[in-house]
Amino acid sequence: MTEKTIKVKIFRYDPSVDTEPLFKEYSVPFEQGMSAMNALDYIYQNLDSTIAYYDHAGCCLGICGRCTGKVNGKSGLLCQALVEDDVVLEPINMSRVIKDLVVTRSES
Amino acid sequence: MAYDSLETDVLVIGGGGAGFRAAIAAREKDADVLLMSKGPLARCGASPMAGADFTLDGHSLNKLGLTGDPNDSMEKVFNDIVTQGFYLNNQKMIDHYVHRAPELLKDMLDWGLDYYFSDQRAVFTSGIHIMDVLLKKARSAGVKMLEDVMLLDLAVQDNTVKGVLALDIKSGKFMHLRAKSIVMATGGWHKAFWPNTGMRDLSGDGVAAAYRAGASLGNMEFITFCCNVFYHPPIWRGSLAPYILSLLCGGLLTNSQGQDILKPYDEYTVKIGTTSEWNKTFLSYLTVREAKEGRGCAHGGVHYSRGDVPMSTINMFAGMMFPNWKYKALDLTGWGKMLENNEPAEVGPAVEYFEGGILVNPQFETDIQGLFAAGECTTGLFGANRVFSAITEMLVQGLDAGQNAADYAMKIKGHNNMSNRLMDFERKAESHFANKTGINPAQIRREVQEKAHKYLGPIRNARELTDFIVFLESIKNNGIGNLHISSNSRAYNKEWIDALELPGIIHLLEAAARCALARTESRGTHFREDFPATDNDRWLKESVVSSAGGKLHVATRPVTVLSTPLPSGSMPYLEMMKKLMETHSDTGGHH
Repeated sequence: MTEKTIKVKIFRYDPSVDTEPLFKEYSVPFEQGMSAMNALDYIYQNLDSTIAYYDHAGCCLGICGRCTGKVNGKSGLLCQALVEDDVVLEPINMSRVIKDLVVTRSES
Repeated sequence: MAYDSLETDVLVIGGGGAGFRAAIAAREKDADVLLMSKGPLARCGASPMAGADFTLDGHSLNKLGLTGDPNDSMEKVFNDIVTQGFYLNNQKMIDHYVHRAPELLKDMLDWGLDYYFSDQRAVFTSGIHIMDVLLKKARSAGVKMLEDVMLLDLAVQDNTVKGVLALDIKSGKFMHLRAKSIVMATGGWHKAFWPNTGMRDLSGDGVAAAYRAGASLGNMEFITFCCNVFYHPPIWRGSLAPYILSLLCGGLLTNSQGQDILKPYDEYTVKIGTTSEWNKTFLSYLTVREAKEGRGCAHGGVHYSRGDVPMSTINMFAGMMFPNWKYKALDLTGWGKMLENNEPAEVGPAVEYFEGGILVNPQFETDIQGLFAAGECTTGLFGANRVFSAITEMLVQGLDAGQNAADYAMKIKGHNNMSNRLMDFERKAESHFANKTGINPAQIRREVQEKAHKYLGPIRNARELTDFIVFLESIKNNGIGNLHISSNSRAYNKEWIDALELPGIIHLLEAAARCALARTESRGTHFREDFPATDNDRWLKESVVSSAGGKLHVATRPVTVLSTPLPSGSMPYLEMMKKLMETHSDTGGHH
């Protein structure tokens, strides 16, 4: 097991309470071959369980496509984004946020 | 709390193949149909994750103009399903499966189903494609649909189903859905285990709600673990890619000491147990045996490498199944290099399919009037072990359940006002917000999942099952009522979802553990270290779980026999498995 930890910075916004979004940073133990979703799971289970990301029905294997977000500014599936160092996670569209990384579906 | 209210003739709960097929069938009988899906439409549950094969007898495949073994027959398929299920199957349900399968495949082809190829008795396509075909058909048939909506409880009056309380996950608003009949099609409960091979939505909400409302469950101890699933790295964990490749081209499985794990076993059993879908039960058992005897690898699995299979063979099959080493959006390029260098990847068993579930009669109606069920959430068809396709199961059962639910609904005038009952359910669901301190649902869920994987895996014993039941009881008594949710926001509250799913998960695990403890023999996917023989004299009977005075009660009932007589005598597990493999008909292929 490696001792390395990475900093995961996450967009946080609960429109029912917060006046504006903010970023929160978490320290996550690094594991070779981990995805952004694995980091989020660690944070939810161990550090901050108020965090929201689409996983109540996610496949985590790149099939359902519902975990689309931005990883270091680039859009992609959180479950298939390999994390190797400090990382910033944001929703795919800030104007459609329901909570944190979860957004309403686009019209298309 | 404000709620949205809807009425329908037939409510279908579940957005996988069984639910969609039931919805289409009910709609074609002119019933008003509403389908609620916990996740995205046609992209949740186990169906879109499937490989996927549709199995039926080769002769019928031929008649539909596809490649199939012309000498195969419905009788041969029937007998193979019985022996693969260790004779515990409900033979009436197998009869229904084999006879209905051809027309269901024809429907799918008429609606635009494409397939890669067909072999002796199976058509190979993909789960995603099957779901797209069903979604398109359901839309054109006029099925109304809800997505990201979760079942909380069933309202039942005089043992007759009246409606449900549901939660719109994204807004956090309750929904009151009134229905004249309901089809339960919520699939398995993979989420009770970690790791698993299913979507994250599969928490068995429908099976648990049906049980709470008074329906009996059966054969809960039989749980299929898929073998050779990626254990590492985390980004691939739970993927079936190595399972698929090893089934198609073979390879080498080694333990932490570098020994070939298949070597100690009977040659014939190894051959059938690695080249047919018997591999799930056989190899999962072998892998857990290695780990239990101290020869497991770093993450509790074994190593898979190509061994002496030439890279050209690997590339040929990989090119077909994972073009450019992409499996859906999963990037397996790194694994391709590992295979090339004959470097091992760690794989192991992960929960994949539940033979147990809600008991249904030949009309697919449960113990509760007006409540029907179809697909993986039911029990009976595959007995103690599934080798044939669950894709066929979901479609044939969805059709009948949907038609029967529509017939039932059409005889009923008007809807009952169930508001008071549904408001009680609302109060129960909201009670979690009242605790100012308590246990974190996220942590307790993970602890439950890991223990379930360990104690309810392919190899069990009385001591571990008893420990597990004590653990589950402690959570029931001290945990569930004391869950603390840190945020009061209703919209997409993950802790609340976990808190709402947990009681059902605990119930189902307890049902499985108690059935497994009661069954003092080894059969199908259930191996008992302390009772290592298949005991046909004492245990050729189904387990039945019912709620008696708020307590979980385990009993048995006779196996439903149609044409194949049941065997007698007792035999060591692997010898029994070999004998069953040997009775297979002369039709080839993976089934």
